[in-house]
Amino acid sequence: MSDVLLQAENVGIRFGGLQALEALDLTVRDKELCCIIGPNGAGKSTFLNVLTGTLRPTSGSVRFRGRDIAGLPLHRIARLGIARKFQIPSVFPSLSVEDNLKVARWGAPSPVRPVAELLELVALTNRAATLAGELAHGQKQWLEIGMALAIEPRLLLLDEPTAGMTPQETLATAEMLLRLKGEFSIVAVEHDIRFVRALNCETLVLHQGRRLRSGPFHDIETDEMVRDVYLGRR
Amino acid sequence: MIARDRNWLLIFVVCVALAILYPFIADGYQLTVIRDALIFGLFAASLDFFWGRTGILCFGHAAFFGIGGYIMALVTLNDAIPFASLLGLAGAVAGAAFVAAIIGYFLFFGGIRGSYFTIVTLAMGVICQQAAVSWSSVTGGDSGLIGIPPIEFDVAGLPVDLSQDLPSYIFVSAIVAVAVLALWSISRGRWGTVLTAIQDNEVRAAALGHNAPLRLLVTFVLSAAIAGLAGALYVCMAGLVAPDLSGLLLSTEVIVWVAVGGRGTLLGPVLGAIFIQRAQQTISSFNPSLWPLLLGCVFVVIVFVLPDGILSIYARLKSLFKGRRRAQ
Repeated sequence: MSDVLLQAENVGIRFGGLQALEALDLTVRDKELCCIIGPNGAGKSTFLNVLTGTLRPTSGSVRFRGRDIAGLPLHRIARLGIARKFQIPSVFPSLSVEDNLKVARWGAPSPVRPVAELLELVALTNRAATLAGELAHGQKQWLEIGMALAIEPRLLLLDEPTAGMTPQETLATAEMLLRLKGEFSIVAVEHDIRFVRALNCETLVLHQGRRLRSGPFHDIETDEMVRDVYLGRR
Repeated sequence: MIARDRNWLLIFVVCVALAILYPFIADGYQLTVIRDALIFGLFAASLDFFWGRTGILCFGHAAFFGIGGYIMALVTLNDAIPFASLLGLAGAVAGAAFVAAIIGYFLFFGGIRGSYFTIVTLAMGVICQQAAVSWSSVTGGDSGLIGIPPIEFDVAGLPVDLSQDLPSYIFVSAIVAVAVLALWSISRGRWGTVLTAIQDNEVRAAALGHNAPLRLLVTFVLSAAIAGLAGALYVCMAGLVAPDLSGLLLSTEVIVWVAVGGRGTLLGPVLGAIFIQRAQQTISSFNPSLWPLLLGCVFVVIVFVLPDGILSIYARLKSLFKGRRRAQ
């Protein structure tokens, strides 16, 4: 099991009286793509916060390449090779697209891809000099993915990467991720089923802070229980 | 961006040229007035380097000015210390930087930002002024210390004596020009870009691997060091140091100078300091109680009409004419 990159074991977190997550396990292997899905309030973002070390679980552990990352400062986690794209696009609005990518590269311990290649990857070459605050919503999301790529991550965590995107942009994003798949591990939290279907990867379904199902997406999609949860029957 | 840099350099060169030409038309007294105003201009630029680039307002910046001044005074008034002027300058810079490092460490790494930072630094300024008043065996209390000698040192065996008007004017102008140019080149490059990113979204910058608290701390320390240098220069030129130099009034005035000159431009605050002090002298000679009233009004008008300071008038007019042309 030497190719295990991220291992979450028996993760539970409690906010006061609310058990937000309970007994969750997740293993991400090197260069693997996987998705975490679930209805609103299932604990997806909370779980992602635990995986990035921003939230310390009340029970269980999260190890990145064998090292416990709970409670490490943000910039240290970034330098371990974990990149994160936030749910709300959080680019730097007063900097140009190019400067956004430069700031991202400067933070990396050993950046490889030049800015021009990053611009190309996220389809923003002709917007390089535009202030990031003036980009369209979908383009901001792509810029964020580009910034996450700039730090040459071992693991890329995406929090609802397609939130607010048009169906075409959603599919373009899925294609972008599939192109990057062989280079590093990607964990995407999503509730847009079209996007997850396009990725067609290992999927973990959360419901009320617990694991409901996990497995390849085509098995999940046909699962009665998952359908019930998504349709709100339970 | 490149055009903006070119414009800045152009204005800088014009200012330096004016500073070089001024001694030919001004008498000794006028030179000392501009010299002192330039020192306060340096002080304003030091605040702008921090406030303009991080968006965090320090409301006690005079504390560093005062610390620099008192250290300079204590070192140069002590006959036992050799090379007193140079050691005093170095000590003033180091002392202000040290205090900023201690206070800044706890604030930045403790996650104190925004108005909370402003309030804590406000208290810091008040504490410094109170310490200067109360610790009278060292600081001379309310009346401060007098008889501080002018700066003198040797350059390659040649003595430099700044007791005369013209040499001290040249010395101060050169220091201000070099310091402003240095601060500008720091703040426009990689350092400044990352600071802008931190100002936009600190958590995001940290998630990209930037040690945001450390970068803010270093910027704050550098800003305080320059403020300390300005304080040290001032007490040597004025010949005295008093608790007012670290007081709330000066902390407020420096904020007005930066706001009037244009936050984030470094050169604007220097001009703002000179401009406002000239106005203060003219108006006070007319009627002393008129000045505070006018200062307040000018500040309010600037904030409403020219929020980017007086240097932005040109850009504003340009965009106004562009808008007119498009409308036609």
